[in-house]
Amino acid sequence: MVHNLTTPTAFWFFYSVILLLALPSGKLRSSFLLMVPVLAGIQLWNLPLGNLVQFKLFNFDLELMRVDKLSRIFGLIFCLAAFLGNLYAAHLRDTVQQVAALLYAGAAIGAVFAGDLITLFIYWEGTALASVFLIWARRTVAAYHTGMTYLIIQIGSGVILLVGVALFFNETGSIKFELMSLTSLATWLIFLSFGIKCAFPLLHNWVQDSYPAATVTGTVILSAFTTKLAVYALARGFAGTEILIYIGAAMTLFPIFFAEIENDLRRVLAYSTNNQLGFMVVGIGIGTELSMNGAVSHAVAHILFKSLLFMSVGAVLFRTGTCKASELGGVYRTMPRTAIFCLIGAASISAFPLFSGFVTKSLILDATAKGHYYLIWAILLFASAGVLSHSGIKIPYFTFFSHDSGLRPKEAPLHMQVAMGITAFLCIFIGCFPATLYSLLPYPVGYQAYTTSHVINQLQLLFFALLAFALLMRSGIHPPEIKAINLDTDWIYRRFLPSIITKVENLLDGFIFRTRELLSLKLYLVLRILHILLGREGAVARILPVGSMVLWMVILLIITLVVVFIGF
Amino acid sequence: MQAQDKNKTDNLPKLGRFLNKIDSSNGVRFIFIFLITVCGILFVIDFFIQKHDHFTVENLYGFYGFYGFVMFSGIIFSVKLLRTVIKRPENYYGVKAIDQEIYPEDELEKVDHGS
Repeated sequence: MVHNLTTPTAFWFFYSVILLLALPSGKLRSSFLLMVPVLAGIQLWNLPLGNLVQFKLFNFDLELMRVDKLSRIFGLIFCLAAFLGNLYAAHLRDTVQQVAALLYAGAAIGAVFAGDLITLFIYWEGTALASVFLIWARRTVAAYHTGMTYLIIQIGSGVILLVGVALFFNETGSIKFELMSLTSLATWLIFLSFGIKCAFPLLHNWVQDSYPAATVTGTVILSAFTTKLAVYALARGFAGTEILIYIGAAMTLFPIFFAEIENDLRRVLAYSTNNQLGFMVVGIGIGTELSMNGAVSHAVAHILFKSLLFMSVGAVLFRTGTCKASELGGVYRTMPRTAIFCLIGAASISAFPLFSGFVTKSLILDATAKGHYYLIWAILLFASAGVLSHSGIKIPYFTFFSHDSGLRPKEAPLHMQVAMGITAFLCIFIGCFPATLYSLLPYPVGYQAYTTSHVINQLQLLFFALLAFALLMRSGIHPPEIKAINLDTDWIYRRFLPSIITKVENLLDGFIFRTRELLSLKLYLVLRILHILLGREGAVARILPVGSMVLWMVILLIITLVVVFIGF
Repeated sequence: MQAQDKNKTDNLPKLGRFLNKIDSSNGVRFIFIFLITVCGILFVIDFFIQKHDHFTVENLYGFYGFYGFVMFSGIIFSVKLLRTVIKRPENYYGVKAIDQEIYPEDELEKVDHGS
């Protein structure tokens, strides 16, 4: 059975790789890279809802293009993110990164429209394989090792998914990717696999590890897809699963503290991603129409403002060679536009009224309040103050303002400025006219973000937190930015496990050494006996050398004959 | 990139020169006073707006401001403590981690302004 109403959107990206390789490296290629996501977006925009591409593989009905309101909005924002990422990377002449970006975006979009778990698995692994090249493209020893760790974790997530899907099929006889409940090992495994990519607490470290290791442009592209694909998968498969509320709340909390003392600004943003994903996971866990709308719209807003922040920090890295807070400061003088774009991103993520975060995050907060999750509500409110501290203040302040580092880098290249400008515009547009975004959400939105009390409450929270920052800075209590790293769960696989392996290795080494000694003694004895028998002075060699040779040949011939005889 | 004469502003872009003017001791003091004023106004407004919130605490005057101020300060004090426990030198994980690695030059386009 083949049911084919359109070309799957992901295929546009895969086909275009062949065309890309045919084009000469240069401006033509860069413009082609911009066209692909635009055309894919237009195709998506015009598609009707429904199951548009189905075919049978062995006994499985694969659904490659399940378009509904939930998958469509993720597909659209992924196309937009691919466009902005490619525009930001328009100066690149690195085929590896260009191909990786296309395949990665394609795989993520493919996964979003997958109507069955097998297709989901294939694209799930596809995103892992394609994205690692954005890290390896840095072409350094550390990037190679970080990429390897990233790949192991991502592929691991896929393998767990595969086992889960196999068990799920065994139990239910279905591979359809629908709402599941955590009642069997199969669904728990699928949940865990989603959780790894969504960076659940203790499974989160791959984000902080890999994002700062990718190339300047690679990080912008990385930040958009993998984690938000996981958010989509959770929204599709586990909406209303209560445990997600608590997982999400924990996710919003702990990264705040790590982000605050992290020196690498791209790693600060990675922690911040974790914190924002927490809000979405809480929204999915609550599972009401309001909270699901909140989770989805916040994912959309997050892709934009996080890209913008990564772009602005990336632009500074591109011009100065560093993105460490301890080395930077005062670069607004020569990069004022990038600084302003960064401030817009910071205001959006901090949820200032008139910026995108305000109209999306409040849906989730309102849903927790309506569901009477008092503690969760208080945690999310606390996390909102935390977001302001690391993403709203720390990123722009220590990069562009703060003390003057004396660096006078040139303003970001024009194409980067345009990419940041468009993203900044979208952040403000969503903040000022939320109805456009709301109309694309899975459920109808009856929420009013701009009520007097809501605006005043939010402004109070943010401005008093800003005041606290100003007072702490002036009094010198605020911790300074220093050249150092901080321990996180990566310590387990970087230090603890290797040290155990080394210990086991030493133990084994000793064991092997002793065994070898013992063996070599025995071997010596065997050789000695052989020498006595067959050596120059040996019994066999000494007596009738020619005769003994003939004798041995006869014996060999007889053996051969017997073998051949038995053989036939 | 070499540190340059910090006080030279002639070769800055217009927007940069404008921001540089604000970034003087007077400008910073102005921003600080502005911030205190805004906080004051927001606190006062709280008495006049109609509250229709979900929780009782939300109806306390200045609850959000208080929460923001206390929580922010709480974060800063607790990370100072956290740092003493988990801080390590940059080369702690050796050459396999990017922490101490210099970003490859050929990927960058480092340009000094005005040069």
